[in-house]
Amino acid sequence: MTPSKGREPGEMKHLSDQDLMRIVQAGDYSPASEIYDRYSGRIYNFAFRFLKNAEAAEDATQEVFVKMMRHANQFHGDAKLSTWLFSITANWCRDHLRKADNKAKEAEDVLISLPTPPELAPDRTLERRETEQRVQRALQLLTPEQREAILLSRYQGLSYAEIAQVAGCSEGAVKTRVFRAMETLKKALTGEASGGDRCLNVVR
Amino acid sequence: MRESMPLLLVEALDPSDREATHRHIESCAACAEEWAACRDTWKLMGELPVVEVPARVRQQFLSQVLRAPAEGNVVPLHRRREMRWFAQAAAVVLLVGGSYYAGHRASPVVLAPTDAKIVSASPSFSIAETRVLPAADVSPTIEGRPNIDNVQFVDADPRDGQIGLSFDITSHVTVTGSPAEKSMVRLLSYVLASEDRMKPSRSRAIDWVRDTYSAPNNADPEIADAMAKILRNEQHAGVRIRAVETLKTLPSKGDNPRDALIEALRSDPNPAVRIKAVDALAKLAGSGAQLDGTAVDTLRQKAAQDDENLYVRVKAAEALSKIRPQ
Repeated sequence: MTPSKGREPGEMKHLSDQDLMRIVQAGDYSPASEIYDRYSGRIYNFAFRFLKNAEAAEDATQEVFVKMMRHANQFHGDAKLSTWLFSITANWCRDHLRKADNKAKEAEDVLISLPTPPELAPDRTLERRETEQRVQRALQLLTPEQREAILLSRYQGLSYAEIAQVAGCSEGAVKTRVFRAMETLKKALTGEASGGDRCLNVVR
Repeated sequence: MRESMPLLLVEALDPSDREATHRHIESCAACAEEWAACRDTWKLMGELPVVEVPARVRQQFLSQVLRAPAEGNVVPLHRRREMRWFAQAAAVVLLVGGSYYAGHRASPVVLAPTDAKIVSASPSFSIAETRVLPAADVSPTIEGRPNIDNVQFVDADPRDGQIGLSFDITSHVTVTGSPAEKSMVRLLSYVLASEDRMKPSRSRAIDWVRDTYSAPNNADPEIADAMAKILRNEQHAGVRIRAVETLKTLPSKGDNPRDALIEALRSDPNPAVRIKAVDALAKLAGSGAQLDGTAVDTLRQKAAQDDENLYVRVKAAEALSKIRPQ
């Protein structure tokens, strides 16, 4: 550990992501809490929805930020810090899905398929909870690549170019993944299946 | 046209394409219907609430990162196999630290700071403040509630009968030895009972303990007690399920683990945990020469409880029908 060089916690709030990372790259870890506070919510929510597992999302969040600090020198100012963090998170999540043994999956499936205990969300209406569950179930119908793309687009506001950076693919591939994800979600959530009277018009 | 709609939703089309797309939708019934479904889907997706990050994640991150050395000084100690490269350095440990440990076996060496150091034989790595201790050299007495972080369970070679527990205390320490050694059991029990310290995943750690201590020659009541504590106190249902599964397979049973399973079946808020508890209690109830009356009674109550989850009731009834004293 390198000790803080006399910086006040409040001082960090006024610094840009790039400035905070430059301090970390210089070997001073004092911006750790400020960076965590800026992005932990988005990272945790992304991992939570991607993996449908609170415990794994906690592990992901902690390990992503530790990795960020330890590998700060790999961050170059040409990308947003958020994009870089989502790249680390998406890698962690993909790796987690690959490693998850069948036993773990079975246990989680039991958990997911059983009714949510009402005490977990006492302030939400039944209808709202049902909608949440429908959306969460619909997201699980997607391939991991589609889910990653739609979560980053819908909930994290990343552009297709940024998603392409996170996913390590082309923007065209992101466009296809989001489109296919939307087709599946539309069918699951609104019952509207594309087909029938399909318009083949191309806007140019 | 349909491919452009997700882009339209996130306003990612350039102005001329956006305008043209909107004009087309207004004039085409099929696309208008498609666009309405897209927007409805997008809106419904917005119903997912933002979930709060548990506060402990922040604490764990900060305690880990503010104690850890910067990149370049980090030595992977997760697998003993990976540690072989510094076997030569270990020889230096024996010279520098060996005499210290040999003279202090009766004191809680692991949990107290010492001036013993490992000196790296490789000039490109600094592994100062890293220690490897055989369990036989560690006192089973744990004084107070020492702060242990970054716990990793290691079993590089399942055939060698040795396990390892790696963690940060005043330095990075790996204790290795037989699962049956009391020091190892005490350390594991302490770590298992301290939920915040088990990382990267408590579930995986519990699986590892279950696999290790399910062998009859490794049976130890302290491990079973630690699992019972997890079952009573853990907030994640997935972890409680693992604890129940472990209690079901551990060969040593006592009143405390049995009581924890009964409590879980009676009052755990998650039905999946209660289902697992049915299995574990059913196995326990029929494992002795005589039936365990309290366990059987609890199963009977569950099978007949009107407001219980139907799944749990059916499981309890099934379990009761199969219980036979051995």
